[in-house]
Amino acid sequence: MKKTLQALLALRPKKKLNGEYLLSLGASILAALLVGAVIMLVSGHNPLEGYRAMLHGALGTQRNLGNTLAKSMTLCLTALAMAVAARAGIFNVGGEGQLYLGAIASALVGAALSGMTPWLVVPLCLLAAAAAGGLYAFVPAWLKVRLKVNEVITTIMLNSAAIYFCTFLANGPFKTDERGIASGTAQLDAEFMFPKLIKLSNLTSAIFIAAVLALLVWYVMQRTSVGFELKLTGQNPRFASYMGIKTGRLALVSMVVSGAICGLCGMFEVFGLHKRFVETVSSEFYFDGMLVAMIMRYDPLGIVLMSLFFGVLKIGAMGMETVGIPSETILIVESIIIFFMAAESGISRALREKRARRRARRQSEIMLEKGAGA
Amino acid sequence: MDNSGRADAIVRFEHISMQFPTVLANDDISLDIRRGEVFALVGENGAGKSTLMNILYGLYQPTGGALYVKGKKLANHSPGQAIAAGIGMVHQHFMLVPSFTVAQNIMLSREPRRSRFFYDFRAAEARVRDLVREYGLAVEPGARVSQLSVGLQQRVEILKTLNRGADVLILDEPTAVLTPQETDELFEVIRRIVREKQMTVIIITHKLYEVMAISDRVGVMRAGRLVGVHDTRSVNERMLASMMVGREMLFSQLDRADTQGEAAIEVENLQVLDDRGLCAVNGISLSVRRGEILGVAAIEGNGQSELAEAICGLRPLRGGDIRVLGRSIRGQTPGQIRAIGLSHIPEDRLSTGVSTPASISDNLLAGKQRRREFALGGLHLRRRAIHAYAQKIFEKFDIRGAGVDAPAASLSGGNMQKVVVAREFSFDSPVLIVAQPSRGVDIGAMEFIHRCIIEKRNAGCAILLISADLDEVFRLSDRIVTLYEGRVTGRFPAGGIKKADIGYYMTGHRQQEASV
Repeated sequence: MKKTLQALLALRPKKKLNGEYLLSLGASILAALLVGAVIMLVSGHNPLEGYRAMLHGALGTQRNLGNTLAKSMTLCLTALAMAVAARAGIFNVGGEGQLYLGAIASALVGAALSGMTPWLVVPLCLLAAAAAGGLYAFVPAWLKVRLKVNEVITTIMLNSAAIYFCTFLANGPFKTDERGIASGTAQLDAEFMFPKLIKLSNLTSAIFIAAVLALLVWYVMQRTSVGFELKLTGQNPRFASYMGIKTGRLALVSMVVSGAICGLCGMFEVFGLHKRFVETVSSEFYFDGMLVAMIMRYDPLGIVLMSLFFGVLKIGAMGMETVGIPSETILIVESIIIFFMAAESGISRALREKRARRRARRQSEIMLEKGAGA
Repeated sequence: MDNSGRADAIVRFEHISMQFPTVLANDDISLDIRRGEVFALVGENGAGKSTLMNILYGLYQPTGGALYVKGKKLANHSPGQAIAAGIGMVHQHFMLVPSFTVAQNIMLSREPRRSRFFYDFRAAEARVRDLVREYGLAVEPGARVSQLSVGLQQRVEILKTLNRGADVLILDEPTAVLTPQETDELFEVIRRIVREKQMTVIIITHKLYEVMAISDRVGVMRAGRLVGVHDTRSVNERMLASMMVGREMLFSQLDRADTQGEAAIEVENLQVLDDRGLCAVNGISLSVRRGEILGVAAIEGNGQSELAEAICGLRPLRGGDIRVLGRSIRGQTPGQIRAIGLSHIPEDRLSTGVSTPASISDNLLAGKQRRREFALGGLHLRRRAIHAYAQKIFEKFDIRGAGVDAPAASLSGGNMQKVVVAREFSFDSPVLIVAQPSRGVDIGAMEFIHRCIIEKRNAGCAILLISADLDEVFRLSDRIVTLYEGRVTGRFPAGGIKKADIGYYMTGHRQQEASV
C-alpha cells in the first residue's frame, strides 16, 4: 500500500485533460505494452501469444467478459469517488475505509432484516452503505475545512481504523453462527442478492445502479452550476471564495458524496459476490480507482474508458497465467504506465521551456540583425 | 550610469534578458556591482529584481546576455557553482532545518567528521563559534533553530553563506519579516561585514528609507527594465518613488460628469492585521460617495492592500467598522458583501482575480453561474447562453486570446486584467474596489481600463481606487488620500496637491491632520 501511495502522490495532477496529454498517455500505454512484450521475450514466451491470451482471458468468453465488466465497474466507481472530492481540491485517500464501512453496514442491515421483502431491504441497504461511507468521509473533510488538518494524512490513517474495526466486528460481536465459517457476518437471504447477468461471472445487475451513478456524477460535474463551483473551488480556492462561492460547504458535500460512492461500492461487493461481509471484501480496490482517476485527470468520461482498459488488464492477467506467463507481468505494465504519466508533466514542462527559450533567442537574434542593419 | 570596463566590478550583468513563457521578466539589463559596496535594488513587486538575483545565484538560466563574476564568465551555472564563485543568497523564506541546532544548520553539507564517519558536533560548534567571533554575529551555536526569533534565524542564514566562503551576499527583502529593532541590528551587521571583511552586499527591497539608510548605490527596476542606477547620496526617497512607479503617459482627456451622491463606503477607525499578525491598517477612516473616485496613494506595504481586502471580506476586521451602502460588513463573507452590491478588482489577479486553469468563458461566468439566464432552475447550465455571453464580452472588451474556451493562463497580463475588469464591472454593483487596475498592463489596455472606470463613476458608482502608479491616481481620482504605515497622512482634492509634493506624504515626512 505504501508503494501505491507513493506512486499516487507523484501522479497528483494539476491540470486538465487535453489533446497533448492524451497523446502522451497513448504513447506511454504503447511503450508499457512494448516493455511487457520484451519481458515476455526475455523470459522465453511469445509476446503475441501472451497478449492474445490476455485478450482472451478478458474478453474471450461470456464469463470472462462479465468478470471484466464487473472489475471495470468497481474501478470506475472508486475512480469517480476520487474525482468528486478531487474536483473540490480534496485528496481523498480514505476510500478503502469508506468502502469497508459501507460493506459492513449494508451486510448488517441486510442480515438483520432477513426474511422481509427485498424491495424494502435492498434500498435500505443501499442507504445504509451510502450513509456509512459518507459519514466516515465527513470526519476528515470537517477537520480539513474547520481546522485545516491535511486530509491526505487523516484519510490514510482512517483507512486502517475502518478496516480493523470492520474486521473486529466480523470476528467478534457480529460473527456468524454458521459452522465452518472462520470469520464474516451472517449470510444474506438469496433474494437480497443482485441477480447475476452472466452465469458464473461476477457481473450482476448492480452494474445498472453503477451506470446511473456514473451518469449522475458526470452530469453534476460537467453540466451544472454546482459542478462549476466545485471546479473553481478545486482550481483556486482563493478565487472561488473571492467570487462568493461557499468553498467550505462545497468541500464537505463533495467529500461526503465521495465517501457515499465508496460505501456503495462495498455494498455491491457484498450483495453481488460475497453474500456477507468478509475481511477480504476489497483488496485495495480504491487505490486502483485512484490511479485511474489521476491518470485521467479526474475527467468523468475519461475515467469510464480507462476503467474498461484497466479492467481488461487486470482480468486478462489471469488469462495469461494459462499460457504460463506470470500475471505480475501485467503489474509491471501497469507500473510503467504510471511511471510515464508521473514523468509526463516534467517532460512536457521541459519541452515547453526549451521552446520558449528558443523563441526568445530567435527574437533577440532578429533584433540584433535589425540593429546591425540600421 | 554606464561604467562597464571598470576593474572593480565584482559582478557584471551584460545585456541579461529573461523570457518566461508569458512575461519578459528581465529586459536587457547591464549592471556592474562594485567590490565592497552595498548595492540596493528597488522596484515594485514583479519588476524583476528577484529574477535578476536568481539568475546570479544560478537558479534561473537567462535567455540572453552574459554574466561575469570576478571577471570570469558564468554560463549555465548551478547554485553550487555560484556558491563556489563566492555568491551567497539569503532568501525571503529561510532555508533552515528547524529541528537542527544553529551549528548543524550552518555546517550542513560540510559537516566535520571524526574517523571519517562520525559527525563531530564539538568541532562543528567550535567552527561556528569562530565564525560568530570573526563576523560579530552573536548567536548561540547549540540553540535549536525552531526556538530562535526570525531575526536570529536570518543571522544563521547569513552565517551559513559566510561559512561557505561567500564574498558577495544577496539579501532578498531581508527586512520584510523583521521588527524595526531587528532591522537596525541587521544593518549594523551589514555595515560591519562590508567595512571589516570587504564583503559586497546586494539588498533587494521596496522600502525606500532602508535604501537611504544602508546603500552606497541604488538601482531602480520597473517592468523588467533597469531604469536607473545612482549614488544613494545623489537621490532622495521621493525621486526613487517616482522612478519606481512613474510612467510617461500621453492621454486624452477623460470626460467627467458631476453626479456625486450619498456616501456608499464608510470606513471608521479601521484596524486590520497583515499575514504576519502585525497591524497593517492602523486607524484609517474614510468615506467614498456615489459618483466619486477616491484614490489611495501609497508605497507598497503601507496597508493599502489590507484595506482593500478588509472591505471585500477577504480579511477580518481587528477593530473599527466598514459600512457598504449603509450596512456593516463585519463578519460577512465575500459572497454576502458582493450581494450587498460590491465588486472588486483585486491587486493580484493571478492568485485572486482569475482561475488560471479555467477557460476565459468560465472566468467571465463566475459569480453568475446560478442566475436563471445561465442555469435552468439555477442548476442546469445553459451552455449555449453562456458561450454567447462570453463571446459578446470577449469582443466588447477586445480581449486578445485564442478564443473563449482557451484557459485564462494563456492570456497576457493585460488581457487577463481585461477579463477581471469585464467580469467585475458586469455585475452593475454600485460600489467598486479597484486595486492596481493597470499593473503590468500595456498602455493601450490601460487607457481602455481607465475609460471603463470613469464610465462607472459617471454612472454613479462609488469607487475606491488603490494604485502604486501616481499618474493613474492623479488622472482618475476626484479626491486623494495618502497612506503611510497604515495611517492616513494626507487628504487632498484632485488638483489640491502636486505630484512632486505627494511623495512627502507617502513616505511619512509630512502629515496633515485637517480633513478635506
